[in-house]
Amino acid sequence: MGHPKDRSELTRRQLLRGAAGAAVGIGAGGLLSGCENTTTPVGASGGGPAGKAGQLVVEKPLGPGGLPLPRPDNAVTWAITDSNQPISEGRPTERGPLKVYNYADYVDPAMVKKFQQEFHTSVQIATYNSADEAIAKLAAGAVAFDVIIGLTGSNIVNLIAQRLLQPLNHAYLPNLAQNIWPQLQDPFYDRGSRYTVPYVVWNDGIGWRNDVIKTDIAAMDVPWEIFWHSKPYRGRVGVLDDKRDALSMPMQRVAMHKGIAPDLNTEDRGLIDSAERELSQLNGICNVKVTITDYQTLPEGKTVLHHSWSGDLLSGAFYYMPKGVKPDVLSYWGPPSNGVVQNDFLCIGRASKSPVLAHRFLNFLLDEKNAYSNFVDFVGYTPPQKAIDAPALVKRGLIPKSLSDAVVRPDQFAANQELLQLSVEGERLWDDAWSRFKAG
Amino acid sequence: MGGRWTWRLAALPGVAWLSIFFLVALYAVVSVAFGNQDTLSQPVPFWNPLDWNVGYVLEALRNIWHGGPFLTAFLRTFEFVAIAMALSLAIGYPVAYYAARHAGRWKGLVLLLLIVPFWINYLMRMLAWINLLSPDGWGTRVLHDIGIERVFITLGLLSTRGGWLDGQQSTVLIALVYGYIPFLILPLFVALDRIDQRHLEAARDLGATPLSAFLRVTLPLSVPGILAGLVLVALPMFGDYYTPDLVCAAPKCNMIGNQIDQLTRQGSEKVTGAVLTIMLALLLLALMFYYLRTTRRAGTASAST
Repeated sequence: MGHPKDRSELTRRQLLRGAAGAAVGIGAGGLLSGCENTTTPVGASGGGPAGKAGQLVVEKPLGPGGLPLPRPDNAVTWAITDSNQPISEGRPTERGPLKVYNYADYVDPAMVKKFQQEFHTSVQIATYNSADEAIAKLAAGAVAFDVIIGLTGSNIVNLIAQRLLQPLNHAYLPNLAQNIWPQLQDPFYDRGSRYTVPYVVWNDGIGWRNDVIKTDIAAMDVPWEIFWHSKPYRGRVGVLDDKRDALSMPMQRVAMHKGIAPDLNTEDRGLIDSAERELSQLNGICNVKVTITDYQTLPEGKTVLHHSWSGDLLSGAFYYMPKGVKPDVLSYWGPPSNGVVQNDFLCIGRASKSPVLAHRFLNFLLDEKNAYSNFVDFVGYTPPQKAIDAPALVKRGLIPKSLSDAVVRPDQFAANQELLQLSVEGERLWDDAWSRFKAG
Repeated sequence: MGGRWTWRLAALPGVAWLSIFFLVALYAVVSVAFGNQDTLSQPVPFWNPLDWNVGYVLEALRNIWHGGPFLTAFLRTFEFVAIAMALSLAIGYPVAYYAARHAGRWKGLVLLLLIVPFWINYLMRMLAWINLLSPDGWGTRVLHDIGIERVFITLGLLSTRGGWLDGQQSTVLIALVYGYIPFLILPLFVALDRIDQRHLEAARDLGATPLSAFLRVTLPLSVPGILAGLVLVALPMFGDYYTPDLVCAAPKCNMIGNQIDQLTRQGSEKVTGAVLTIMLALLLLALMFYYLRTTRRAGTASAST
């Protein structure tokens, strides 16, 4: 659920999100009523969607201003209002400077340089560490950003409700229709790409050191099972430090055993609690670490088996291999279906002073060649470009064969699930379970 | 009269600074803790105390009362801090004693060496330890060569050779002690340095052995320094979350600071994060008052002698 780049200031190049910790145990809120001046916390009043096992999509909660939270079965087309129209066609490109708001190290500086030269402008990048921080600062309006990179479908309601984005004029964005996977040209969170265009995609899988673990994990009936057989690697095994990603992993394992499709956005207390119990078994089995530093610890061999975001394995292979260690010691497996996939997007700030230049930047990043360089030279996360595929990258020697699964395919993207914002009550069930796991 | 006003004016910037950046910030946390959240799980602070909602506070208390994860984290925090304090004192007292009493003309140098670690950011020192304690790191090798590793394994504090970073509680304790010990040594050094030598001479004249002179004169007179040092190391340790994060990262090292970090940054429970922050702050406040009371008492006691 969390964006892989959501990291605090703790690490070296990229930043580590403070690991460990937990969420709240919320009991039946009904007990609280009766006390004077006691408001039952939102969502703590029993009932709700809990218990509706097997339901494929959760109830649709409303966001601020009564706006719907987008769901694959409830795709949302955001209105274009009179007071907020896209820019007209054929306007001259402004001179800039272009103000970009982005995660740290999330666009290739060489690409930025190239854009500056091509459009005779300068690009100023400001960075944020979490989506919450980004939205708060955008809403405060201290700086009028032209382009915002890295927010996701979970943020869009907030962005629209607070009127922070301006609609796009596709006439300036020919690369969208030309290069991007059709499914992401018309995503459920923004039908018709009226306010956003996709940036990169990733999935949740298993990263491991094939020089230490000799089992062919990808060939296992249920690859996730490796975590429950990781006693030999005790102390060097990790799961993602994110409640939704981590707890959905045992859910996928169980579903794979049973041959059914899991609902990774469930609000069923039973399913969530049993996922927590299974995840907690890993404490005894391998003293599991809860981190998002696998992009560094796997190349260094400090961990040998990790629940990982696909892009982290590639950036690990690109940047973090110690001297004398070849990237082909890293392997990655991502589920072909019923697992987790996510994507983020590019958008234009409503108060942009250079909207044409901003469109040009979006189109520039959607260009096949630029997206490709940005991917393999820097970011490591797959752009949803029709022309990019793993076999070609392997053939050209850019990535080892053992990591070809870390390049997300369109069929894979379609057959997996996105982790979506839940109702307040649902979030609490996940938080509660996560809290118990993290407290050890 | 004029002088008094000058000093009041001079204190104004400091008072304003504290009011804005400490009191207002603290009040914001309190308002969130006694507030509610919206349908996107974002906190809605209640600024007016008359509107305050105690629901989240009661829920956190109930979690603790029923032995939930918050209790686990609080108890573990107490355990870690108590052990780290004891270790810091055991290691720090002799150092401070040596520096104050026996360093002679090297006193300045010893003091300087004690302060040097402060020149490097805490986080950087912890990151350095990650490399030192990796299986092939220098620190691991030294700990192995001088036999400390074997002692830890024998005592069950370390599960495998070279496994300092395999998610060990003992590594967190070592890191906490290492990181904060200068805070204990410096006030202790000052307290020991200030002890009037004549008290000791009198004790010796009256027939005390060096040991009993230490136990009956030096140690009691250094109690304010010990307390000051212990409080100074305990305060940051209670709120620490990045040390367990960096050197352990396993759930069994999770402290209350990690809970708060998790709730406020990653979870959808920012209100409860604020509640725990207030609880921890009250706890530390009690500790601080205890410290102030003992030092004031010690101050009046020494003034009356």
